[in-house]
Amino acid sequence: MSSESLILFFIVGVFLVGGAIVFSTFVPPSSVNPNKSDTYECGIPTKGLSWLQFNVGYYLFAILFLIFDVETVFIFPWAVVMKQLGMVAFIEILIFFVILGLGLLYAWKKHALIWE
Amino acid sequence: MRLEDFLLMRHELLLTLIAIIILIAEIFTDDFKKQGIRPLSIILMAIVTIVGFLPAPTGTLFGGMYQATDMRLMMKNILNIGALIVFIQSASWLKSDDNQNKVSEFFLLLISTLIGMNFMISSGDFLMFYLGLELATIPIAALAAYDRYSNKSSEAGIKLILISALSSGILLYGISMIYGTVGSVYFDKVSVAYGATPLQIMSFIFFFTGMAFKISIVPFHLWTADVYEGAPVNVTSYLSVVSKGAAVFIFSIMLVTVFQNIAAMWKDVMWITAAITMTLGNLFAMRQNNLKRFLAFSSISQAGFIMLGIIGGSELGMAAVVYYILVYIFSNLGAFGVIAAISNASGGKENMSDYDGLYKTNPALSLTLTLALFSLAGIPPVAGFFGKFFLFTAVAEKGYWWLLTIAVLNTIISLYYYLLPVKAMFINKAETSIAYFKSDGWTKVGLIICVAGMVIVGFASVIFEYIRTLSFGL
Repeated sequence: MSSESLILFFIVGVFLVGGAIVFSTFVPPSSVNPNKSDTYECGIPTKGLSWLQFNVGYYLFAILFLIFDVETVFIFPWAVVMKQLGMVAFIEILIFFVILGLGLLYAWKKHALIWE
Repeated sequence: MRLEDFLLMRHELLLTLIAIIILIAEIFTDDFKKQGIRPLSIILMAIVTIVGFLPAPTGTLFGGMYQATDMRLMMKNILNIGALIVFIQSASWLKSDDNQNKVSEFFLLLISTLIGMNFMISSGDFLMFYLGLELATIPIAALAAYDRYSNKSSEAGIKLILISALSSGILLYGISMIYGTVGSVYFDKVSVAYGATPLQIMSFIFFFTGMAFKISIVPFHLWTADVYEGAPVNVTSYLSVVSKGAAVFIFSIMLVTVFQNIAAMWKDVMWITAAITMTLGNLFAMRQNNLKRFLAFSSISQAGFIMLGIIGGSELGMAAVVYYILVYIFSNLGAFGVIAAISNASGGKENMSDYDGLYKTNPALSLTLTLALFSLAGIPPVAGFFGKFFLFTAVAEKGYWWLLTIAVLNTIISLYYYLLPVKAMFINKAETSIAYFKSDGWTKVGLIICVAGMVIVGFASVIFEYIRTLSFGL
């Protein structure tokens, strides 16, 4: 990449971001009040202590979700080059799926999916 | 890439396979059949250990990211032996009511750490190395907190995960600087391009610090005693032997290959840290009353001794390190095995004063512990003597006389505290010593393997010669 295109990229970047900020100060209706500069808490003052105990089930579900979410990251690049890689890669990804599925089965068997 | 190439990774693949088998067994069996998981896991692990010794092809995979050489295969086999002994020793502990419902998890987590260690040892670039390192440390933190109703166990778990996160962060910072200055993460490219510019020296210091945390070298040892004390005995033994062994293996490989250009510099750093590690580990070990803490500090000072072989840096030094780890596995697991058996049978008695007069009530266990401590101290005719002897030879060969003097002095100091439990068992009189109990079959088998290892590895010079022939090909 030559230096001209780099400079152009820089200028366009500055104008895009800067323009957006300037644009947004003119266009929307503005209202100033003390609540707006408060700590973000959905606009409502907190009631009681915030040191609550959360149901541990939330974490289990989050982890299970995360596993299958991250799985997408692995599958997408494989899908792009599936034809070139051929059979070996297909078997590899199949094994990967099976192991993940076993993990879900394990969580199921251990009653991690029951919400109490 | 063909399917046959996967044969190079057979250690990792076999371990993955048995992990999946255990997982399937856990999912698809009823509660009353779960008793079978313990013997199943042990037998599978034994098979993997034996298969590991069969001759195998060597080569590289994934464009050099994965390297299988004879020496690295030998290291993996040694770790497999250690893990197998830990499996056998923990069988009777896992039978207790508290642990009934999490037996397979113990094996699964241990096997995953072992897979991580194997990948780490076979790594040919920093990414694979880091991946293996993380896989080897994170599950072990879960294991340290295995004892759900013990505060100390939770403390050990949280301390271990914090300290491994910290050390991994430092390590990654060092690796990123190495990549920044060299432009590659592959070991062979880094080793050629690595120089001694200030930034590269700094990157090495960060890398060294990260590894020093893992091996618990003074002054990065502070987590060791708390974690070793809090974790269940069998996890502690795994942590002190197999985890440490794996870190030492890959560290020594990387020092003599990747960082060979700055060998003069890291030898100075290692010289000082080795001397401090041996001395401080010894001095702290003298003051301990809890046997797990005692062995924690003893393992710190042993790490100092192991560094002697790395400083030697020759083929003899490498062979001495690998051989010493092999001996250390048998001796330390022997000691931990006895402590675990006594702790399980007596309801958690782990203090040295509890061992008063143990020889009268449990002579076999006392003799095993004595033999293991003799081996750790390096008293002939047990294997520990030969291990230390080769380490000292490796240093003497390169003319590090002062370091050798310090090491020999430390060996003499260590004799004192290694003999303290022996004195308690044989000489001290106690009104109520731990009553006689009968160990079950698994414990016996585990201890017999350790004793046999301590004696045979010492006398069979074939083993050392064999390791030495391998170390030329690193």
